[in-house]
Amino acid sequence: MNQAKIQRANIRFFGKSYNKSEIFAGLLFTLPVLILGVIFIILPIIVSLGYAFTDANLLKLDQVQIVGFSQFSRIFSDPLLLIAFKNTLRFVVTVVPLQLTLSLVLALILNSRIKLNTFFRWAFFIPVMLSLAITSMLWMNLLNEESGLINSILMSLGFDEQTFLSNPDRALNIIIIISAWQGAGYQMLIFLSGLKNIPSSLYEAAEIDGANSFNRFKHVTLPMIKPTFSFVIITMLIGAFRLFTQPLIMTKGGPLDSTMTMSYYIYQQGIMFRDVGYSSAVALIYTIFLAAITLTIRKVLDKDNTV
Amino acid sequence: MQIIIWSVLIIVNVSLIFLLLKLYLNSERMSKYKNDHQVIIARKIIHFWFVFALYFFLFVLAALFIFPVVWMIMNSFKTHAQINADLSTWRTFLPTNLNIGEWFQSYIKLFSSFQEFGRSIINSIIYSSITISIVLLINSLAGYAIAKFRFPGSTVIVTIIILILIIPVETSIVPLYVILKKMGLLTENLRIVGYLIPGFCSPFYIFMFRAYFLGIPKELEEAAYIDGASRIKTFFSIIIPNSLPVFATVSIFTFMGTWNEYIFAQLMFSNPLQQPLQVYLQLINNFNPKDMGMIMASLTFSTIPIALVYIFSQRYIVEGVAFTGLK
Repeated sequence: MNQAKIQRANIRFFGKSYNKSEIFAGLLFTLPVLILGVIFIILPIIVSLGYAFTDANLLKLDQVQIVGFSQFSRIFSDPLLLIAFKNTLRFVVTVVPLQLTLSLVLALILNSRIKLNTFFRWAFFIPVMLSLAITSMLWMNLLNEESGLINSILMSLGFDEQTFLSNPDRALNIIIIISAWQGAGYQMLIFLSGLKNIPSSLYEAAEIDGANSFNRFKHVTLPMIKPTFSFVIITMLIGAFRLFTQPLIMTKGGPLDSTMTMSYYIYQQGIMFRDVGYSSAVALIYTIFLAAITLTIRKVLDKDNTV
Repeated sequence: MQIIIWSVLIIVNVSLIFLLLKLYLNSERMSKYKNDHQVIIARKIIHFWFVFALYFFLFVLAALFIFPVVWMIMNSFKTHAQINADLSTWRTFLPTNLNIGEWFQSYIKLFSSFQEFGRSIINSIIYSSITISIVLLINSLAGYAIAKFRFPGSTVIVTIIILILIIPVETSIVPLYVILKKMGLLTENLRIVGYLIPGFCSPFYIFMFRAYFLGIPKELEEAAYIDGASRIKTFFSIIIPNSLPVFATVSIFTFMGTWNEYIFAQLMFSNPLQQPLQVYLQLINNFNPKDMGMIMASLTFSTIPIALVYIFSQRYIVEGVAFTGLK
């Protein structure tokens, strides 16, 4: 009788059989997430896809005219966008290797039997505890050209008073250094947990085989932390391509657009200049670009993994 | 200061010389002297030197990492005038008030001259707790459903989640703002709803929950079903008590996310009474005349909650990364 009850509860859908109460529970449990996800994650993508072909203005969203591809053709003749793209790219290709090396070297050192291990771990982790907004405000004050700490240290070393965030040649480099300073400790922690999971028997076996420390690193450590490595590099890259808070607080994209980044540009066009149409077109192209980069890197790292 | 720079230069140079020496001692030509007394001593000296250089390097780097934060904390205990007086001496890194009662002047001044500072802290706490409770509830339910139930569309949901995780949606702040505007959520009173609601559904956390629930054995739930418990009751009374680590991780991640959130908040809130801490801090930072003591007090005070979370839950942060990103 029990058997019959279960069978009656089954229904077929697209050729597959499901348990009725599971369907009910499954849909009920996912319903809130589905509603919110569709409105606030999927709809924005569709909306920006739609607005990219219009001349939408933030203040006149009811009078929208379809303009075809003209927003996209603006992209290729926009000198400021090119600057923003170059700046973002420069940030990414500098900060990712810098932060990656720093965090990996620190993790490797702190993973060995070194004294004061806990002290060093916390010292490198402390900047992570500051939020991006607080980091930006703190460094703004430290780098204040008249009354900041950095200039006062430099002057006590016999240097001249320096310009920092007001100098177009330096502003982006300063943001790079600050970002690496703030983020390295977090990646160090992730690398440390990856290193801790390497079984010590592997090292012992390598030692018996006569491998020196460099070979042990190359043939045991590196292959074993590869998944951690690809995870860190992907999150770091995506984070770097999103650079926004630091220029927003510290420089407002200036001086002379030297810290204008893609995220900031999209925001500026859409919210400040109210040009939702153009902003959506840029955002769309940039999203496709980022998705392509993420997928490529995932592929490359995964391929290496299986070999 | 100059002493430090000179010692860095000396240590780097001596290390390079010793490195060459070590390579020479390891070379073919020297291998027959391998067990000579002098060679053994030379190796010991070189080894000692490298250990010393490593510690020196670590200390210098650690100092570079912590000096801004130490400066921030120490100067929050001083007044603006004291900070300027100490700035060009080493005393800038120490609290110079002998009387401990005077240490908190800047904090007292901060709370009295910026009336809404306390309010912005409360706002941040309210926003974080609402977000955490709803995030935990709805994302865990969805994660559980796609991990354990077979229903039409469950595989589609998983595919969509993976797609969303690959496609970066960060650039969608402008369309999101437009949608909120069309929904009428940008009025003075509903702004808070409009600010909070997009953060509730998170594919990342659904995935985190799913990964964890997949590891819970089926027998646990089946025992409850035999006792006649409904699915929702089983979830609350059996599953949740057995998966506290993932709930802890998600709440910590959510807390860090909402407490530190700045970009969307500064777009949404112009009324200081509604602003969360991170946005309100900017008002203190940009205030004229500048009071460095008060700025540092506000920055230090705002970091305390998040620092406590990090200190007490570092384990969960690392574990959370481990069971989402690497699986």
